Amino acid sequence: MSARIRRSWLVVPLSKAEQIAQAPRSGADVIALDLVEFVAEDDKPAARARAQAAIHAAHAGGAEVFAQVDPELLVADLHACAWPGLTGVIVSRLESVQQVAEVDELLAELEARRGILHGTLEIVAALETARGNHAAYDIARRSPRIRGLTLGRTDLIMDLRPEPSGEIHLMPYLMQRLVAVARALGVTPIGAWWRAPARGLLAPPDDTYHAARRGRAIGFAGSLCIDVNQVEPLNQGFTPDAAEAAAAQQLVTAYHAGVARGVAVVEQGDRLVDRGSATQALALLDLAAACAARDREKAEMAARPLLALP
Amino acid sequence: MAAHQVRRSGLTMPVVTRRFVDHAWRRGCDFINLDLEDSVPQHLKAHARGLIKDAIPVVRKGGAEAFTRINHDYVHADLDAIVWPGLSKVNYPKAETADEIRLLDAVITRLERERGIRPGTVEIGANIETAKGVAAAYDIASASPRVKEFGGGTGYDMSRDLGVEMFVGFEQFAYGKGELELAARALGLEVRAAPFVANTTGSVSDADRAFREAQAGRRCGFRLGGGLNPAVVEAQNRGFTPTAEEADDAQWVLERHRELAGTGETWIAIDGRVIDRYEAARARDTLEWAALCAERDREKAEAVLRTRVAMAEPAP
Repeated sequence: MSARIRRSWLVVPLSKAEQIAQAPRSGADVIALDLVEFVAEDDKPAARARAQAAIHAAHAGGAEVFAQVDPELLVADLHACAWPGLTGVIVSRLESVQQVAEVDELLAELEARRGILHGTLEIVAALETARGNHAAYDIARRSPRIRGLTLGRTDLIMDLRPEPSGEIHLMPYLMQRLVAVARALGVTPIGAWWRAPARGLLAPPDDTYHAARRGRAIGFAGSLCIDVNQVEPLNQGFTPDAAEAAAAQQLVTAYHAGVARGVAVVEQGDRLVDRGSATQALALLDLAAACAARDREKAEMAARPLLALP
Repeated sequence: MAAHQVRRSGLTMPVVTRRFVDHAWRRGCDFINLDLEDSVPQHLKAHARGLIKDAIPVVRKGGAEAFTRINHDYVHADLDAIVWPGLSKVNYPKAETADEIRLLDAVITRLERERGIRPGTVEIGANIETAKGVAAAYDIASASPRVKEFGGGTGYDMSRDLGVEMFVGFEQFAYGKGELELAARALGLEVRAAPFVANTTGSVSDADRAFREAQAGRRCGFRLGGGLNPAVVEAQNRGFTPTAEEADDAQWVLERHRELAGTGETWIAIDGRVIDRYEAARARDTLEWAALCAERDREKAEAVLRTRVAMAEPAP
């Protein structure tokens, strides 16, 4: 797993100066500056005007910075956000390959004009409609910039609500479909497995942790959130915990000892360890190490004084 | 999801069973589905076809729409016998390819023209009941503009084709149902599906279960019902109709959402509940649907009254 560690994506409305100022102290791996979901229509011009400075400020805690843009307002949103310091854009409600092509071309043009290395601005496709999800595979392979797929606010946009079982209707199917498409194309699936009554906006830390933990169990690598109190539960839920890491380490040790003795299947308690389970345990240890490294990196960044604008 | 018709409840009945057909108008159904397929014995198929034309007005006497379920293998003979004025929909079982639907469309188009029916009146209900059908779901659903609602992926035939058990305590059709629903939604069609509510007995007359399933379905955005036993009709009508409290609540949500205009906020939490554009959209849907249900209930009540008067039958 060589992708960057992006467990928590804190969505911050570009219309809210106070929230932008607080965001770097949240501990988020990614700060997603929003121009779509949480900015009132009248506030959008002012929000766009604030984007360049906000991108710079958001780096203070070591977070990567993305912007969430509207495919219906692409030119204005991308012009506002595509500046050095931006890692990429989350495109809301993406539902066709043509839209991906438009984003791709505009980003290339802005990279050339604004001194950004060609091809570096990433795209996270938020597939939030039935059409978008139906076309997921074609959308995700349309541009090499696409590095992540997320269901974003699909439950709300498609009006998917809790079933008597507590599952959000259709979401188990859509989540597994998205994870399969993403992994097939080598892009990162972003999301968490929410169940009733938790709803993303208001979910308390415990529910958020469990949504992240379940999400990691089915292949998600990180999730969007809106409340700073949800950042730490997401970081935790998407990081292997100490007990998991210890168990994985034991398993790997037992396997290596077996291989040294000339056997590639060894008993460990009532489990059999072979190359498959050892590889999985190693991947978990790699992930744990990468998460720890990311946490150190953020801590160091947070300790540094904020650099002046270039 | 925009509803084009209110189809909360309906009975599928063998057209050869006279007493079912004669009393259908008293059941309170939004639709009656006259069956030529599995509930009609093979040796009575020809006889059954001959009954449809007269049965259509009979089952509509209580305000229900009339549908017919045809046989997958007798498309020409069945369509020729059933496409008459008054028929709203042809249900086509075990749909597996888009070509099948295009053939149905062509035959129905010709029959509409020959029989003085307004072009495009007769819908096609494509029922997906096999693995092959699931694999071709999107193509089937988009093969004709006559397909306005779409679903399946469950039931005895699907169960047999996939080799899964029918009455278990968990969602055994999650993948197939998901494929069909995503295809339907991507095409903007009404979804014929239900969220999982355990049915471990196979009972077709359990009104409580039918109500719970309808209510759970409505909360997840579904509005299409139907069954085999008169005992579930009222439960489905009730379960798919918003209650007065829900309509009041929807009004309240819209008022709270209107208050957000001009504040610069896109959402607000009130008593642990989010009010935003999504909740407002849902509230508008609920109110529209409640109005459609009320209108449908009025239509049916008037039709029943007219029929009773015509038969000189006192109201019960």
